[in-house]
Amino acid sequence: MTNESKSQIIQAPASTESITKIRRISDNTPKKGLEAFKYNLQFVRGRGAFEIGIVLVVLIIGYVIAGLVIPNDFPFLDPNNLSGVISQAVPVLAILGIGAGILMVADEFDLSLGASLTFNAIIFIQVDAKWGLFPAVLAAIASGAIIALVNGAIVVYTKIPSFIATLGMSFFWAGASIWENGTEAAMIEDKNRNGAMEFLFAHDFGVFRSQLVWLIIVGVAAWFFLHRHRLGNHIYAVGGNAAAAQAISINPRKVKLMAFGIYGGLVGLASIMIAVRTSSMQAGGGATQDYTLFAIAAAVVGGTALQGGRGSIIGMICGAALIELIKNGLILGQAPYFYITVFVGITIVIASIFNKLMEGKAR
Amino acid sequence: MSNSLLRLEGITKKYGPNTVLENVSFEIGKNEVVGLLGDNGAGKSTLVKIMSGVVPATSGEYFWDEKKVDSVNREATEHLGVETIFQDSALVPQMTITRNIFMGREITNPLGIMKMKEMDRIAADVLDSVVSIEGIKSPKQLVQSLSGGQAQAVAIARAVHFKRSLLILDEPTSALAVRATEALLDYLRQLKAEGVSSVLVTHNLHHAYKVCDRHIVMNHGRKILDVRKEDTSVEELTAAVVGGAEAVKAFREAQAK
Repeated sequence: MTNESKSQIIQAPASTESITKIRRISDNTPKKGLEAFKYNLQFVRGRGAFEIGIVLVVLIIGYVIAGLVIPNDFPFLDPNNLSGVISQAVPVLAILGIGAGILMVADEFDLSLGASLTFNAIIFIQVDAKWGLFPAVLAAIASGAIIALVNGAIVVYTKIPSFIATLGMSFFWAGASIWENGTEAAMIEDKNRNGAMEFLFAHDFGVFRSQLVWLIIVGVAAWFFLHRHRLGNHIYAVGGNAAAAQAISINPRKVKLMAFGIYGGLVGLASIMIAVRTSSMQAGGGATQDYTLFAIAAAVVGGTALQGGRGSIIGMICGAALIELIKNGLILGQAPYFYITVFVGITIVIASIFNKLMEGKAR
Repeated sequence: MSNSLLRLEGITKKYGPNTVLENVSFEIGKNEVVGLLGDNGAGKSTLVKIMSGVVPATSGEYFWDEKKVDSVNREATEHLGVETIFQDSALVPQMTITRNIFMGREITNPLGIMKMKEMDRIAADVLDSVVSIEGIKSPKQLVQSLSGGQAQAVAIARAVHFKRSLLILDEPTSALAVRATEALLDYLRQLKAEGVSSVLVTHNLHHAYKVCDRHIVMNHGRKILDVRKEDTSVEELTAAVVGGAEAVKAFREAQAK
């Protein structure tokens, strides 16, 4: 063997690059333009809001086209429809959907929503008649929050499933409404309704109403709370994996009670809107009962997981809007009432299946 | 100043009629890496839960820095600086890596609004510097899209980033690839140099033997061996884990001959 060949063996370059080169995450992150947009898009898909938002936009475009082409048969764009129906119905359901949705992200739900609505509305009407509007608003929101916190305390401390506990409590709160006001309807007198109350909670601005302003306020606040505030982060953590949250010293009970409280406050706000819109509320009637399941449906259609840990405010609003718009479209198209229930039911199931499929695509 | 960071005295834990831990006493020194070894059902996991304050002991005392801790719960141990990486439930699958890393310790403005960009940036740095990031594309990924090993790595990265005084790792290497395991073991040594004690709970004696200064072997709820690395060998530890106290005795007699 010659010297030359020896040194060649020693000098044979080992491919150490693969070991020594440190790959950094930021190296392969596109910084701007379409690439960055595509890159970021993959972290939006399957999170709930994106897909249902597209469905909603397509539906609205379809309605607008139909409203322009056949305005007489499908008067979607008629101001009476936009302000009279859409902007009264969507905000109430969306606010309830946000409340129910936040609670669902925390892995709980509340079947006494409808009963709570009736009770809060009666409190609102009674306090307004005695002490005026401002105390009445506070009382209704406080009443909603207290009802939810009582339900929440039962669920959190006894560990009874919220399905059973709140089902039971819904009868309790329905009974409490009758105890508070009897079976006669509580009425808002015109002299009380006209003025500030009407302006704040039911005023017609032509193509939209006060309720829509409330939805925007609640929506923005809820978005910042759930998606950007640290307490919102704790709600996701507890709803997604309570044991992991606890291991990092987040107290699941406190977080769940907080979610119940926020949900209750939003139910209180929605009950004011319902009371002002109809000027009355009857205990023992079924007027608010549907809201319980529709609020949960809005959240589910909007991509909120029943088993907690997943959901977004935009999705919840889209879910509520989708349900109300489909209802509206069927009414405008003069479908018989049973079609409406059937179609809403189908929408809810299809949307849930769709969301389930999309979850798998989440990166 | 004493050298003991955490000392447990006479810990017994009963679940109904079952005694899971019986009169277990040991200490974790400052700047020490301790291996907690034992077969399935030896009581390791229960001991970890008691050390981290998630589960209260039926009886026994808990000393931190030689001061008795009266109510041992998760808030108290968090305050002391104990961080535990549990085998199966360290992370929230539906949340992003960033949100998992900063869970409960979010970087916020005075109003409590999280600084997402800053958190994403730090999370990326943490992932880069702490563990091998094979396959992790972005801290914005959901944890559910990670493999078991990647998720484990993120959990470890989190604990390491928030430099705690005592790190308890429950089977951290069970789901890790070879390279990630090496990185982790290196990291434990590095942490020790920085003054962080750790407890490594594992089945894998070779991993434990590599990094641990001391080994505690559990068997049927009892501590049967507590030796420094210099005074033992992989063979003796194996005998202890597999065969219990008698096996250790037999092994030592055989060695003496």
